[in-house]
Amino acid sequence: MASFGALAILLLVVLLVRLWFLQVIGGPGYQERADANRLRTIVTEAPRGAITDRFGAPLVTSREVLNVVAQPQDLTGPEGHRTLVHLARSLGHPPGYFVAKVDKARKATPFEAVVLEEDASPALQAYVEERRAQLPGIGLEAAYTREYPNGTTAAHLLGYVGPIPVEHLRAFRDLGYRGNETVGRAGIEAEYESYLRGIAGRQQVEVNASGEIVGRGIISQTQPRPGQTLRLSIELPVQKALEKALAEEVAASGTSTGGAGVALDPRTGAVLAMASVPTYSPDVFESGTPREVRRVLTSPARPLLDRAIAGEYPAASTFKAITAAAALATGLYKPGEGINSPGSLVFYKTRFHGFNNEDHGVLTMPEALEVSSDTFFYTMGDRTYRTRGWPLQDWARKFGLGRATGIDVAEGESAGLVPDLAYKRRTCDRAVDPINCSWRPGDSINMSIGQGNVLVTPLQMAVAYAAIANGGKVVTPTLGRAVVDADGRVLRDLVSARATRSLGLPQKDLDVIRSGLLRAANGNGGTSTPVFGALPARFRVAGKTGTAENPSKIDHAWYVGYAPANDPKIVVAVVIERGGQGANAAAPAVCRTMAAALGFSAGRCGTGAKVN
Amino acid sequence: MATLERRSAHRDSRVREALAGLDWWLLGAALVASGFGVYVVRAATESDIPSDPGFFFTRQLAFTLVGLLCLVLVMRLDLDRISRYAWTIYAILIASVGVVLVLGSSARGSTRWIELGPARLQPSELGKVALAFVLAVVVVERLPAMEPGRLSLMVAGLTAIPAAIVFLQPDLGTSLVYMAIALAVLWVAGQPITHFALFITIVVVLATLVLYLLPAAGVNVLRPYQVDRLTSFVDSGSDRSQAGYQLEQSKTAIGSGGAFGKGPGGATQTINDFLPEHHTDFVFAVVAEMFGFLGAGLLIGIYLLIIWRAVGIMRIAATQLERLMAAGLAAMLAFEVFVNIGMNVGIMPITGIPLPFMSYGGSHTLTNLVAVGILLRIGQRGRSVIGTH
Repeated sequence: MASFGALAILLLVVLLVRLWFLQVIGGPGYQERADANRLRTIVTEAPRGAITDRFGAPLVTSREVLNVVAQPQDLTGPEGHRTLVHLARSLGHPPGYFVAKVDKARKATPFEAVVLEEDASPALQAYVEERRAQLPGIGLEAAYTREYPNGTTAAHLLGYVGPIPVEHLRAFRDLGYRGNETVGRAGIEAEYESYLRGIAGRQQVEVNASGEIVGRGIISQTQPRPGQTLRLSIELPVQKALEKALAEEVAASGTSTGGAGVALDPRTGAVLAMASVPTYSPDVFESGTPREVRRVLTSPARPLLDRAIAGEYPAASTFKAITAAAALATGLYKPGEGINSPGSLVFYKTRFHGFNNEDHGVLTMPEALEVSSDTFFYTMGDRTYRTRGWPLQDWARKFGLGRATGIDVAEGESAGLVPDLAYKRRTCDRAVDPINCSWRPGDSINMSIGQGNVLVTPLQMAVAYAAIANGGKVVTPTLGRAVVDADGRVLRDLVSARATRSLGLPQKDLDVIRSGLLRAANGNGGTSTPVFGALPARFRVAGKTGTAENPSKIDHAWYVGYAPANDPKIVVAVVIERGGQGANAAAPAVCRTMAAALGFSAGRCGTGAKVN
Repeated sequence: MATLERRSAHRDSRVREALAGLDWWLLGAALVASGFGVYVVRAATESDIPSDPGFFFTRQLAFTLVGLLCLVLVMRLDLDRISRYAWTIYAILIASVGVVLVLGSSARGSTRWIELGPARLQPSELGKVALAFVLAVVVVERLPAMEPGRLSLMVAGLTAIPAAIVFLQPDLGTSLVYMAIALAVLWVAGQPITHFALFITIVVVLATLVLYLLPAAGVNVLRPYQVDRLTSFVDSGSDRSQAGYQLEQSKTAIGSGGAFGKGPGGATQTINDFLPEHHTDFVFAVVAEMFGFLGAGLLIGIYLLIIWRAVGIMRIAATQLERLMAAGLAAMLAFEVFVNIGMNVGIMPITGIPLPFMSYGGSHTLTNLVAVGILLRIGQRGRSVIGTH
């Protein structure tokens, strides 16, 4: 009989122990589960901010769409699996397509809707609406998608948006993101994410087992906050002209694989236009089919590469202005000095040939820039080799070469290369050619005309020539101009904070270079006179051609110039890959871009015929 | 004036007589549990029927008051005097559960009730007390003469008939309570331990056959949902069946109550209806969610007190009949409490056994209070006998 009572007590103690484990030890976990049962979050999307050009013309806007979404917590178990497979099949996807999406989102944001199909067509909307009962957990939700009123225009600099990459999830969470937002993934969209992002409103409500809102109803809520409008320094007409010119020159050359151009305001560094060819459609990552996305990602033409900031090319003859600056600044060349510039010259028992072996006779520096004499600059290169220090490298770096310019699309900008002794030691093969591990006279001589390992981006050259144009100021190029509110009031000025740095070249030395560049575009023997020579005096251009030898055997065509020459308002750098000689492919593109910016007729631009 | 005094004095002595030797602990614990039960039913069901928030509360209050009235009435019962009607009572038991079974199957559904005008009676509930009484009478009458094996067989047979009928209603839980009562009566009667070992072996073999082996062979003795309910507690995590869902929600309700509970207004598992059957089978989970480990632990403490007093009463019972009857009732209460709470916390199968004094329901509230009344009566008689010696 005692055993009867003892058994009863024992059993109740078992219950107490079990209860202790459930409530005291497991309590927090079950509390979470109870909250998961009762709490639902209703999300009201907020549009991402628009991006406009300098004058407010829209480059990217947000458009409201209806997405097909799934509630992960309502799609559990075999029934949820069946529903998702059924929906995927009827929309023509592989059976596991939606299951994978939902399972992935379930881990990150279990109580928020997962987007299955963006921008549902009216037919798809009707399909989902009519099958509410057969598709539990599936619904339609208002959202915003990026719209590009100008198509592919400015695609590279604008960048694109997409889901947060898994590897950055933690960083975005720290900034208050939930994890399922669409964020800027490249270009301006990524750089100015903090201004552009719209913050979705969230209502947390309590529901009962049937999903009806009950009790206190709204537990917490935040209002949706639309993103702010970003105004760029880009001028849409100039941007369009540059892109059109690049596309035409690339197509006309017949051999070209691409090209790029940058137009800056030399006084401020404001980017007026920046383009890269071939381009791509920025909405491909939002609304493109998987095949279109794959093509963009894997095409050998590399349409995603922004050649304007990430394309590294030999600077070729456009570098001669920098060699000139180095020679002038170090006193290795005195203004007025005439230097014999034959078809070829022998240095250290090696013969160095000029372009086409053309004999120019005795030239001063402006004359040498006008005709783009190679042998004149070989002599300059040799002089820098013989002197103490590294004037070519030092001055290349002062002009901003060899490192990123700091443009406000930080990710993806290339530093280029200013070769020096350390570089040669780093890259030479001691076993094959030990002598090549030192800096040799030929290296200085090649570098003087922008060949032999000098690599630059079009943006770097634009910044370098802007310094010549503006009287010696190395600017930081900027795309963002201001953050403005809906009424166009400026909330934040993005330009004033940008640094500029003095080149340290005396005005009289700059004048020598500027007169040479002016002669190159207008003088009788000027390499780009056929292109620019016919322009009215108030739009006179100063600039330099370049013909970059490269492993592909077909030269890259360069042109960097500014206008008006006496009061520069724009500097343009263009490279046409495998475009042949600079005056033929690149200079006309520069001229037509300047025409759009300064307001003269593009018909005044010549087509180019002269060489080098 | 004098007559009035005499009358009141007369009444005073009658009250004293009625209260003499009363087990105040048992009565108090049963009253506290019943009152708490009414309160919890009210708190748990306020949002269940929007047009009538007090629907379950007013009924449970009425059931409890009727139950308390019955408790007082049965305290006047003389078990020895009605023992001669044992077979009649047994026949009524069989007839009433049989009628429910027949009516239920003719209605092409399952039912456990007999409609009695506005009220519904679940005869299998009061049948627990009836069975305890009948078995106690049978054992007391046969024990001196009958060979132990035959006696055990006879008790087993007498239990098996109503248990089988109730099982077919289908009400597995109640038929298990019948078996628990029978085992307790035999145990206290001092039947050999081998009988119990044999019984347990048979139960284990049968359960294995019915739940696992026969379904695997394609023979379904139980309906699939019943098998689910009995087996889902073993592995509820992967279980998407209704039973698995219930258990999951019950554990979530209990666990989320934590140490001190979420209060009656914050018990979202209950009031938002995630926890099914929160006023009946899973009312313990409601207590645990609202009042936490503290409240649930105190409630278990109250049950401990009730069972402890029931066992104490059994030990001082004046007659063998009363002793066996008390054993049956104590076993009934202990078994129901353990199986129900065990089912709520996920260590026992879901068998649909209500929690004494707490679960909503007229017949079983009545039955439990009647059982307490009988136990109080047995205790009083035991004390007075001890007192006169």
